[in-house]
Amino acid sequence: MIEIKLASVDSVMIYFGDTISKENSNQVKSAYKILKNLHNPYLIEIIPSYNSLLVTYDIFKYSFEEIQIYLNSFLKNIPIKNENNSEIITVDVYYAVEVGLDLQRVATNSKISIQEVIEIHSSKLYDVYAIGFLPGFAYMASVDKKIITPRLESPRKKIPKGSVAIADNQTAIYPQNSPGGWNILGKTTFELFDKSLKDLSPISIESKIKFNPISRDEFLKQGGVLEF
Amino acid sequence: MSFEVLKAGIFTTLQDRGRFLFTHLGVTNSGTMDEYASLAAHKLLDNSLDTNILEITFSNFELRANTETNISITGASCEFYINNISQNTWQVHKIYKGDSIKIGKIIDGQRVYLSVKNGFDIPKEFGSNSTTIKESLGGINGTKLQNNDILPYFENKENITKRWHQDYIPKYEKELTLRVLLSYQESSFSDSEKEKFFNSTYTITPDFNRMACKLKGDPINSSLDGIISEAITFGSIQIPKDGQPIILLKERQTIGGYPKIGTVLNIDCFKLSQMKIGGTIKFEEIDIDTAQKKFKEFYLTFK
Repeated sequence: MIEIKLASVDSVMIYFGDTISKENSNQVKSAYKILKNLHNPYLIEIIPSYNSLLVTYDIFKYSFEEIQIYLNSFLKNIPIKNENNSEIITVDVYYAVEVGLDLQRVATNSKISIQEVIEIHSSKLYDVYAIGFLPGFAYMASVDKKIITPRLESPRKKIPKGSVAIADNQTAIYPQNSPGGWNILGKTTFELFDKSLKDLSPISIESKIKFNPISRDEFLKQGGVLEF
Repeated sequence: MSFEVLKAGIFTTLQDRGRFLFTHLGVTNSGTMDEYASLAAHKLLDNSLDTNILEITFSNFELRANTETNISITGASCEFYINNISQNTWQVHKIYKGDSIKIGKIIDGQRVYLSVKNGFDIPKEFGSNSTTIKESLGGINGTKLQNNDILPYFENKENITKRWHQDYIPKYEKELTLRVLLSYQESSFSDSEKEKFFNSTYTITPDFNRMACKLKGDPINSSLDGIISEAITFGSIQIPKDGQPIILLKERQTIGGYPKIGTVLNIDCFKLSQMKIGGTIKFEEIDIDTAQKKFKEFYLTFK
């Protein structure tokens, strides 16, 4: 069910259901695409998340009532199945205990070998559900049930940039050094947020991500650093 | 044609109205904390409203000009000198080559704004000059102003003599009432919790910066422990588990998972940004029609 609620004097929140699900997320993505493609200059910002879209609008153009009517006209028949042709982004990851500080913890927690953790994590195609917390930090899901692992009880003061990690059924790549409580499985040289990139980030809410295990040599050749 | 930064002060940043095109990637808006003062500074100089500006938060700031221009100073009341002669704020001052511009003690309020005619000639980053240090974006190299920085500007030979009308220069008090739109997860707060919220007096804690203002007072409870993370607008009032309200400001995270009781009217957040730690806050409900009317009146002042 789609519902528009007041957020602030010049913004509204559109909710697509009240749970985290692929269906709700697909609706968010479809609606996001439709609204973005309007190129309406009076829609100032559109920020997607798991089951919601925040729309900031120009109140000199629309009143609160008018913006609801306007948005509702595009929100009818939003497809739940997402015919998403977005390209798959492959992220090379060096999975090893020397950079994946929690590989052993995840393996033990899941009662499988480290090698199996790597195979399971890298065999799935992940959807992006939200981007935030840090610029370029993408919350991706869903991690295979077999390796679901809760956050660390006390977060690390520093998780190095490029760390690939999981928490519950989500996975992410740290775009910069940051404190954090996610379980680190490996490391990548893939840049998620870089001023030298035209759009700041190669990913968006519409991206699909695949992790590709690489060797230590390959990681170093790509410019990877092992140090913490 | 530039200012030389002789003393950058403890926390001076280049800002403008903010960065709006990359929020979907987690990039915060940033921008001036007090738009009343910053837009007034531009209006005095007849600058376009999205011109960049310096936001000066602590004393001991000094520039030297190397060409002729006009500047305006607004915001917090402060000791302000040109060539060591005390001058009034909230008006335009003619500046000549070699002039020294100094901000001494900040007296009432928190943030002083310094605008130069036609702005500082500094390239924007991703649509804005606003400095966000944690993202290394904006300003000069994504940082606060440093001693010996150079701030280029365009020579201007006009003699602008405008001053802001005395009646419209804000008085920065120690108590402030913020108008709130009940919104987001307001239904997760019972009537008695809402009543408590609107009848309590809160104190501004030291956790007060460009990101957010944390208050202390009667704790408010939501029936929700957390929510599915969603985007957060300027002025949103998060209620974390300890029940102490957090008002999210210009450099807030773009998404968050705490329940929110409502949103402070943006133009009241500008007043909040001039408050000091220990100041007191009360909340008062406002409806959306009145809020939009007040918002429009505010911005029409600067048109």
